[in-house]
Amino acid sequence: MAEAVAVRGLSKRFGRFTAVDGIDLTVQEGEIFGFLGPNGAGKSTTIRMLCGILKPSGGCGRVAGLDLFRDAERIKRRIGYLSQQFSLYDDLTPYENLRLFLGIYRVAPSLWAERIEEAVASVGLRPDLHRIVRGLPPGARQRLALACALLHRPRLLFLDEPTSGVDPLARRAFWEFIGGLTRQGISAFVSTHHLEEADRCGRVALMHEGRIVACGPPRRLVAEVLPERPEAGLEDAFAILLRGRAA
Amino acid sequence: MRARCIRAVARKEMIHLLRDPRSLALAFLIPLLLVLLFGYALSLDVEELAAAVVDRDCSPESRDLIRRIDASRAFAVRAELETDTALSRAIDAGRVSVGWVVPAGWGAALRAGRPAPLQVLIDGSDPNTGSQARAFAAALIERLNAERRGGRHAGVPPAVEARIRIWFNENLESRTFIVPGILAVILMIAGALLASTAIAREAESGTLETLRMLPLTAGELTAGKALPYVAVAWIDVLAAAVLAWGVFGIAPRAGIAGFLLASFLYILVAVGTGLLLSALAGSQLVATQLAILATYLPSLLLSDFVFPRQNMPSALQALSALVPATYFIDLLNGFYLRGIPASGLWPSFLVLFGMAVALAAGCVWAVRREGF
Repeated sequence: MAEAVAVRGLSKRFGRFTAVDGIDLTVQEGEIFGFLGPNGAGKSTTIRMLCGILKPSGGCGRVAGLDLFRDAERIKRRIGYLSQQFSLYDDLTPYENLRLFLGIYRVAPSLWAERIEEAVASVGLRPDLHRIVRGLPPGARQRLALACALLHRPRLLFLDEPTSGVDPLARRAFWEFIGGLTRQGISAFVSTHHLEEADRCGRVALMHEGRIVACGPPRRLVAEVLPERPEAGLEDAFAILLRGRAA
Repeated sequence: MRARCIRAVARKEMIHLLRDPRSLALAFLIPLLLVLLFGYALSLDVEELAAAVVDRDCSPESRDLIRRIDASRAFAVRAELETDTALSRAIDAGRVSVGWVVPAGWGAALRAGRPAPLQVLIDGSDPNTGSQARAFAAALIERLNAERRGGRHAGVPPAVEARIRIWFNENLESRTFIVPGILAVILMIAGALLASTAIAREAESGTLETLRMLPLTAGELTAGKALPYVAVAWIDVLAAAVLAWGVFGIAPRAGIAGFLLASFLYILVAVGTGLLLSALAGSQLVATQLAILATYLPSLLLSDFVFPRQNMPSALQALSALVPATYFIDLLNGFYLRGIPASGLWPSFLVLFGMAVALAAGCVWAVRREGF
């Protein structure tokens, strides 16, 4: 299987502060990769580097088949990105927002109608397509953001805490939707605070103070850390891992 | 630079503008309103000044003088008063701004060829109006003298004749000068102010972070952002030019192409100033305040519009050389007043072009600094 993300020794320093300290990561095609860790662990910095927004201070690697250092701009065109900070223009309608993204992603205008239809149908946004975004409920806005991230048919999605502030029902629908995408071979790189969501991931990585503390399928991680407690969850395993680091 | 990206950003920016009533008013309503208002209200011409006369003579000569005063373009006789006190009350109250006092025996002195003084009182509270009224009064009396001389001593050359000739704005119509000048000030303010929120607004609302995630270069973002504001300011120029011509009869004497090119460069400078401040300021409030500060007073006071440059202290003259309006007003004077073809004004064109290029580079640099 090809690798959607493969980086080695990736690091980022801001002055004397090291936010990301030489991490290795691989994400397979069609995989849901969970990226976990406390606030300030360096998750968002890592994602911003992988998306080509932030220039890494060191390391090497490829994202979506392109070199992270030489092809940052082209990486942006091949991936989709969604985050909690991801704001849309709220004085525009969803349709106008989508059209902006299509233009910037340079999708040929002859394909616009089809792409908008496809994205809107897949996230269930059709009734609100021509209402000003400001008046839409948060759930609809999030669906719109997702539609914007999918418009150019990326093979790799970066989702930075996509479910924070979303109600449990919408969260469940969201994960089912992501599951459907990965069955089409699309990879999803998801950072989250909700550890129970990690069980939906093929593999997870736990980040702490700029380093990756543990990485692997959730069940196996738990079994390795707590072999004597088969009923234990990720939370217990991570608590032990983080405490071990602190000591 | 890819046209499709720029178009996508420009279209979105235009929608923001069209959906925001305040921006819309700033873009279209206020500039045209100001051109009209200044064109009418800021007229510095003296016409039909209210005058009062005190005729103590009541001779055919004094009646003739009063008819002449009333018939002139500069004055309109509004009252014939009995006493000096009544006259000074009328001037104090602002009912009239010029008073003519004809002493008793004036007509007889005139007939006899003796010196025949008469008094003219002028309200000097507006120095411009006052000095023009004085000139008009002097001219009226001079004409009267000339006629009497011509009648009584035919063949004798007149003693001294003032040969006054005014160049360029022959009719001394201040409007011809004010309307282009105010266009320069308004364009600069409107262009810079409109554009000043363009990037700061996105930084505040978080959408700048969204744009950062997209395959969009600094140049594309800058061009896409600038385009709608340049278009709007362009419409303002055309509308103001049509208004100046239709309402005030003011049109460029030299090629319209030069005027359009000059306006285009000047708009680029104005919008570039706004965008640069917007990218540097980080908040809309700071950006708009800076935009007003950087454009309004310099364009008005340092640009040769209100105060002539050659009368400024050398430090201010140097500052004035940095103000884009200085060059635009130079160009407008060339087209509107002096009728100089565009080729004769290339230094100012060159400076505006240089400023536009420098600001464009500055904007791209500032946007790149924002993470593009």
